[in-house]
Amino acid sequence: MAVVHLQADHRRFTNGQNVITVEGNTVGALIDELEHRYPGLGHLLTDGASVAINGELIPNGIFERVEASTEVHFIAPIAGG
Amino acid sequence: MTVATKPRPYKYVGTRPVRHDGLEKVTGKARFAADLNMTAQLHGAFVRSPHAHARIISIDTSKAEAMPGVKAVVTGADFPNLDIKHPEFDTAVNIMARDEALYNGHAVAAVAALSAKQAKAAAAAVEVHYEALPAVLTIEEALADDAPIANFKNRTLFTKDTEPSNLASINQFDRGDIAAGFAQADIIVEREFTTTAVHQGYIEPHACVADCGQDGKVTIWASSQGHFAVRSKTADSLGWSTDRIKVIPAEIGGGFGGKTTIYLEPVAALLSQKAARPVKLVMTREEVLRATGPAPATKIHAKLGATTDGTLTTLASTMYFDNGSTKGYSALTGAMSVASYKLPNLELHAIGTVTNTPRSAAYRAPSAPQAAFAVETLIDEIAQHLNLDPIELRLKNAVVEGDLTAMGVPHPKIGFVETLEAIKNSDHYNSPIPKGAGRGVATGFWFNIGEQSSATVNLNEDGTAAVITGSPDIGGSRASMALMAAEELGLAVDRITPIVADTESVGFTDITEGSRATFATGMAVVNACRELISELQQRAATIRGVDIEQVEWVDGTAQIEGQDPLSIAEITALAKKTGGPLTATASLNAAGAGPSFAVHVADVAVDEETGVAKILRYTAAQDAGTAIHPSYVEGQIQGGSVQGIGWALNEEYIYDSNGEMENASFLDYRMPVASDLPMIDPIIVEVPNPSHPYGVRGVGETGIVPPIPTLANAIADACGVRMTALPMSPPRLLAALNQRNGN
Amino acid sequence: MQRTHVNCTVNGDQVDFLATDDTSLLNALRDELGLISVKEGCGTGDCGACTIVVDDKINCACLMFAPEAEGLTITTVEGMALGEQLHPLQQTFLEGAALQCGVCTPGFLVAAKALLDRNPDPTETEIRYALAGNLCRCTGYDKIIRATQEAAVQMQTSKQRGAST
Ligand code: FES
Ligand code: FES
Repeated sequence: MAVVHLQADHRRFTNGQNVITVEGNTVGALIDELEHRYPGLGHLLTDGASVAINGELIPNGIFERVEASTEVHFIAPIAGG
Repeated sequence: MTVATKPRPYKYVGTRPVRHDGLEKVTGKARFAADLNMTAQLHGAFVRSPHAHARIISIDTSKAEAMPGVKAVVTGADFPNLDIKHPEFDTAVNIMARDEALYNGHAVAAVAALSAKQAKAAAAAVEVHYEALPAVLTIEEALADDAPIANFKNRTLFTKDTEPSNLASINQFDRGDIAAGFAQADIIVEREFTTTAVHQGYIEPHACVADCGQDGKVTIWASSQGHFAVRSKTADSLGWSTDRIKVIPAEIGGGFGGKTTIYLEPVAALLSQKAARPVKLVMTREEVLRATGPAPATKIHAKLGATTDGTLTTLASTMYFDNGSTKGYSALTGAMSVASYKLPNLELHAIGTVTNTPRSAAYRAPSAPQAAFAVETLIDEIAQHLNLDPIELRLKNAVVEGDLTAMGVPHPKIGFVETLEAIKNSDHYNSPIPKGAGRGVATGFWFNIGEQSSATVNLNEDGTAAVITGSPDIGGSRASMALMAAEELGLAVDRITPIVADTESVGFTDITEGSRATFATGMAVVNACRELISELQQRAATIRGVDIEQVEWVDGTAQIEGQDPLSIAEITALAKKTGGPLTATASLNAAGAGPSFAVHVADVAVDEETGVAKILRYTAAQDAGTAIHPSYVEGQIQGGSVQGIGWALNEEYIYDSNGEMENASFLDYRMPVASDLPMIDPIIVEVPNPSHPYGVRGVGETGIVPPIPTLANAIADACGVRMTALPMSPPRLLAALNQRNGN
Repeated sequence: MQRTHVNCTVNGDQVDFLATDDTSLLNALRDELGLISVKEGCGTGDCGACTIVVDDKINCACLMFAPEAEGLTITTVEGMALGEQLHPLQQTFLEGAALQCGVCTPGFLVAAKALLDRNPDPTETEIRYALAGNLCRCTGYDKIIRATQEAAVQMQTSKQRGAST
């Protein structure tokens, strides 16, 4: 379980909610659960988002473990020059 | 000048040794991609679309193939068609058009011949039958109700749309309540800003040599910011397996983001395969300007509210970024970069467009300079209206650790306040403004990124070392790697040779972009060194017949109580007898990249007769975390500043009504030269990044963000004219002055 | 196409090569003589990456045709160091971090040396104008100007020392 923060773009899937408590032990499981609850959202999170866990951008993505108190942000992908 | 939060505890990190690749570069021996020649090498030339948008009906290469010296011709038909959802679909299409030419300058065929002259002549003999299509060249045209489609293969990102569209992406960020926020504000400023496309302007045109053997394996010598990315993008666009491609990095003559993507390598590989000989492709400057880069043109509407005490309450902005011929993330990164202030109420709409202009590429802190132009101008106006010092106003609203970015994620430990204070306390800011001039300040922010890196450290028999990484050195990163290894191993910097190895000689490493090389690849170097040190301790224990627990590593030596210390050289001399060569490799996917902030101040005099804005003094402060090699940190700050200055004052893409670039040369695309500029005084602020062993943040990008608004604000201060369109070139400034004067 | 036999002096050596009339001196120096320090940044005389000294004057090699070199004396960066001793400018560029990617560096060194040869004590403004034909996109010019100033000081001092002994 973890606390998931979504972007404005994602809210059209979640009836306007942007902070959601979601079941799952890994980021991947959270995404699966979100897709299950809000069809279409999961694909958006897998393809078009980076993940920050407790404020830190993490590179390992879907296999990252989360706990009940973990704050997960799905944010837009960042690159650079 | 360096402002550090703590005294420096390091022996090598923070010193300024002569860089290892310097000698070759001052003696003219350094080999850039265009300097490489292979036996029996052919030269290539491109056929490029003269139309901004056209259907390619047919291509007849027979005449070209019959010309003297011609050995191979390729067209889009020789390349596999990727699935439209493939992440490199757009890259592949940009490398070689298939059925649709997307901009004037888009490659439609290429020729390889014995000489460059023959190749050029043959390229001119390739007959392409086009059906011209209506084109869109600007953001406005792309968005118009009845706009023609610019790219029939474009689908809007993050949607399930299956229909072509001129929208690349649509995103929104928000928090708080902007209606309430504006109601709370005592002062609201609102403006629209426009900027044109600009080029990264690296002095070395794109170049490569490819040599494909009869076994189908190709070796490519490339000028790029990431040779592993050259390999994967080449593999993807040719449908080849990775093991068929080896990429050897040549010296790179500047990139600034523009060499994170590829244009030539798959074409060279295919021509080489067809001709069974090495093929060299070198772009002309005109090709570079017409078919690579640029950074997106923008149109940004922004509205900012504040209370009379200078608290910023609300920002609402709609940002259009033009990606050129294919989709991209430019609007998104622009909006995300507006994150330097607490701003409880925020609503940002980021919209990317697609037009029939060259496909845009990353350019140093991609999209942040344009966004900063808008927001930092409005902040300046608020400070002016409220009669507040512009630095004090920013200090009042500056984000600190825990405050949210535009994306809603809390900032880690950052040095924005320290950087603002560095300017506030600088000699420049405390000196009187020269008579008749104006002063402007502005800030900039960039995220920086981590990503994947690998490093191998080999100890030689005599105790010297080679540090091998996969990060092309675009701004002195080899020196930084050597410095970090020196610090870890306790070995003098000049006893360490840093090397950028090819794709088969070092582990996978992502592109040198996002200011990540010193951060992430540096961490891999540090980890490899640490592993090596435990091995060295083990060897010392073996040599002295003690337990490893009794061996301490201090200052480059193994210390064992009651015994003489063992140096690295003494241990490596006995390596054969204690277990063999000493080498260690580390790889990682780095987390914890530290955001970097910059604050600039400029004094500018405006010549009311000519409209020339002359910079009299310029100071740039930036948080480096820790400056590993301060000279190259200063160099990044100065170079970024001057690119921003060029963007602000002179550089622009000018297209005619057919979408042909009218100023595709360095004569007409005017970048800053030495006589345009004063010294750029750098102030390195050091608020270490807790996620890096030496506190590195990465410094490559942020420096380009503040100059545009810094100069716009200085011009406003000097002559009372608020410039909202770039470049602020003499004719435009003159027009604005005339308008101010009511003529 | 007919090729012309061109004789000239390059970095102190008598050399000769064959070139067609439309070959640029830039290409001839690079391809026929292997002088890769002479870079092509634009091919139109606008970037200075191909700066060379021709009979004591700086020139863009990309703007000259190879046969025009007949009988002339040409210097490139390859001819700048005195044996094992770097030219003071090469040394101050190295020590002052006046290069990042280094692709512009040979052109700047040639132009800076030409300046110091004719004006051993230039002001900052004189240096900036003397180097205004050379583009550098990496450094913002700051460290290039400083390295040139430093070399001027060093060359003056060593000259004085030479004169006083
Ligand atoms: S290549 Fe000769 S001036 Fe640019
Ligand atoms: S050092 Fe790269 S262009 Fe000058």
